[in-house]
Order: sequence, then structure tokens, then C-alpha cells
Amino acid sequence: MLLELIDISLTFNDNALFSDVSLAVDTGDLIFIGGPSGSGKSSLLRLLNRLNDPTSGQINLEGRPLTDYKVAELRRQICYIHQTPVMVEGTVKQNLLLPFAFESLRGFRVPTDETLIELLHEFKLDDIALSDQAMVLSVGQKQRLAFIRALLLQPKALLLDEPTSALDRDSRLVVEEYVERLAGQKNLAILMVTHLDFKPKHMKARRYILKRGGLEERAR
Amino acid sequence: MSVIDITYGQLLMSLIFVIIVGIASVRLQLDLERDIFWGTIRTFTQLFMIGYILKYIFAIDNLYLVLFVFTGMIFFAAYTVRGRVKEKSIPYFVPTFLSMFASYMFVTIVVTAFVVQVEPWYKPQYFIPLGGMVVGNSMTAIAIALERIFADIRRGRDEIELYLCLGANRREATSKITKEAIKAGMIPSINSMMAVGIVFLPGMMTGQILAGVDPITSIKYQIVVMLMLVGSTAIGSIVVAFIARNLCFNKAEQILLK
Repeated sequence: MLLELIDISLTFNDNALFSDVSLAVDTGDLIFIGGPSGSGKSSLLRLLNRLNDPTSGQINLEGRPLTDYKVAELRRQICYIHQTPVMVEGTVKQNLLLPFAFESLRGFRVPTDETLIELLHEFKLDDIALSDQAMVLSVGQKQRLAFIRALLLQPKALLLDEPTSALDRDSRLVVEEYVERLAGQKNLAILMVTHLDFKPKHMKARRYILKRGGLEERAR
Repeated sequence: MSVIDITYGQLLMSLIFVIIVGIASVRLQLDLERDIFWGTIRTFTQLFMIGYILKYIFAIDNLYLVLFVFTGMIFFAAYTVRGRVKEKSIPYFVPTFLSMFASYMFVTIVVTAFVVQVEPWYKPQYFIPLGGMVVGNSMTAIAIALERIFADIRRGRDEIELYLCLGANRREATSKITKEAIKAGMIPSINSMMAVGIVFLPGMMTGQILAGVDPITSIKYQIVVMLMLVGSTAIGSIVVAFIARNLCFNKAEQILLK
């Protein structure tokens, strides 16, 4: 079992967002989490890489509680992608290689330019050069770069927080197609919070709805 | 020393200035008469009070009394900083006070004991005014650095979170912000090194000159003071910026600033 959520509750300022949520996630799983806004979908994702901690309950990664891991190492393995992509000042290459300057990634092989260019190609970003400024790109292009940046860390799970909601149709299709391919091919679990009904063509996804403080599984 | 004492009669003559200002306020309907009145009263009482307190402290010349007064000055400085920074979600007051205490004590002792070589190093006539300048000047620097770091962490939350999500620790996630906050605190004292003697004559130096001290002696003191202030604002800004930065995160590298 990759990730295991056991009776998780989260309370913010005396407001219970959800309680007793349990979920088991295996490598290769594709999981969609829907539900009304304000139900705590994003907050649930943020517990998995410890951007926040649950009020009660336990989350395990490969059988060990998340709190046993060094938090930087945990976040590299369970990689969170924001709803609106965040780029830092600098070139595309600087953005993609940003984490490789961090202490927690010391000893990691820094990807070559060829690898980066290949990934840009896979995400249909052939018209972008590594030396381009990242800040001026469109939201759709930035979100695809955010995916590449996350994948370079070789995570075990990707947490996607409505990754396509801010995108135009073309970018959305590219990202969705790639999410599907990732879920099928790589040794990776994907948890995705989503409003839009994304229906993978070849993959079967487990669908959950977070509402009224609980997580319910939906029929496929 | 050849300083002319001011008699009480002469002192009252200086009231002519506030009387002119008072008349102007009435005629121009500036509505400032009350403030001018109370401001004048407070200037007289506060300064006479501190004058007699200093006279007493100088006469007693006791280490513990000097340290007590200096600690009190630093406490009020820290309190003033808190009033200006207005940050509620991070408990920075006690660590700020302690680091102000440590760094100001260090700088003032270095100046009195080693640079000026006062015997004994805590001689109140030297320690209190020099220490007072250190506290007064770097208090502003610390307030600027703190305001800046809290504001920038709040504003840069998305970027900081991105760094954390990619495996950065708090130092890596906020290195730019911390640097900018420290610089913001330090720059005014560095700038005043550029302008001193040309754009303005510092109060301490003019005071010494008025008191009959040789101008060369007084500028030497002023140089020591300028460098001391650069040192104390730098140490203060650096220590406080790092402390404040650390207080904004918990052990799990989660942002605590609300």
C-alpha cells in the first residue's frame, strides 16, 4: 500500500471540514475527488504532503506514518501541483531545475538539457526554449512546466489540485491526456481534485465525493 | 568647559517660539493650539525628569543601576517596535527583545570598553548616551526588517509554498525575502554614512561642539557613533530577521503566519 488514510479529521478554527475519512491508495491508482467548493478537497490533498497536518487520524506512506519521514524528502516523493501554476523569476530551465539546488535533493542527478527538451516535446511545448523567461508564458504553458518540474523529482504520488481548472481547452486536453498516460505507464499514484468531469478513455479511475464532512465512493 | 549655562529666565524666553506658533495656529485656524500647549508642557517635564534621573545615575555610578536603565530602554524600544509592526499571529516580542538586548549590549560594551576605553566600561556618562543612540537607531531598523519579512512572507505565500512542495526547507524557501528584509533594515544607516557632515551635522557632534569640545575630538566621537550604528543596525536586522523567519514556520516546514 502506497498511501493509507486512517480516520482522518480536519478542523479549521473550530469548524470541522471533514471527519473519519479513510482511503487506501496503491501505486498505479488514479483517484478523482470531487465535491462542492468549501468541502475541503484541497485541504485533504494538502494533508498528504504535510502542507498541513490532520487534527486527528493517521496517514501512512508505505506503512510508516508521514511524520516519520523528513518532510522535505516526503514532499519530493508526494508531489503537489497547485491549481494556478507558480513560476519563479528566471528562465524555463531555471524553473525546471529549481529543486535541484535544494539540500534535500543533494546527490540527485541533475537532468540534462536533452531530457528537459524531450519532456517539453512530450507536453507539446516544442515552441518553448529552455532559455525563455518563464513568467511571461501562458497559464496553460506554465501548468505543463509545473508538471514537468514535478516529474523530474521522480515522485511516488502526484497530488493535483484542480490542475486544469485555470487552463484553456487545448492545454487542458494535453494535461488530461498526459495524466492518463502517467497513471497507466509510470509507477505512480495520482490523486486529483476535479470539478470538471474528466473521463479518461483508457484508464479506470476511482471516483470519490467529499461532502457533508465525509468521503463517499461513487460508482464508475 | 566653557559652556554657558541657561538660566530659568533665559529658558522661559525660548517660549517665544511656541507663542508665535500658537498665534499662527489661532489665526490660520490650524486647530493645533492644544497640541502645541501639551507638547510644550511635556517637553519641559519629560526632559527635566530625564535630566534629574541622569544626574542621579551619574552620581551613583553603579553597574547594576546602569544595566537596569539600559534594559528598561531596550524594553521600551522593543515595545515601540511591536506597536509599529502590528503582527498578531507570530509571537515575536520576547525573542526580539532578547536579541535586541544581546546585540545592543555587545555593541555598546565594545564601544565603551575597547574603542573609547572608558574606566570603568559602564561609566554612565558614556554608557547611557552611547547605548541610547544604539537603541534609538536600530529600533527603527528592526521595525523595518520585521515589517518587511512578515509582509513579504504573507505576500509571497504561493511561491514559498511552491518551494516547500518541491522539497525546500524554510531557509531555501525564503532566502530572497530574508535578504531583502535585512537590507531594508540596514540601508538607512549606510546611507547616513554617505551624507554625514555634508547634508547634516549630527546632533551628538553639534552638542559636543556647543559644550566647548574641540571639533576634531567631537568628529572622532561622531565617527565612532556612525560606525557603531551601522554595526548595531546590521546585527539587529540580521538576528531579528532570522528569528522572525524561523518563527513563521513550524518543525514540519509549514507556514504559521496567518
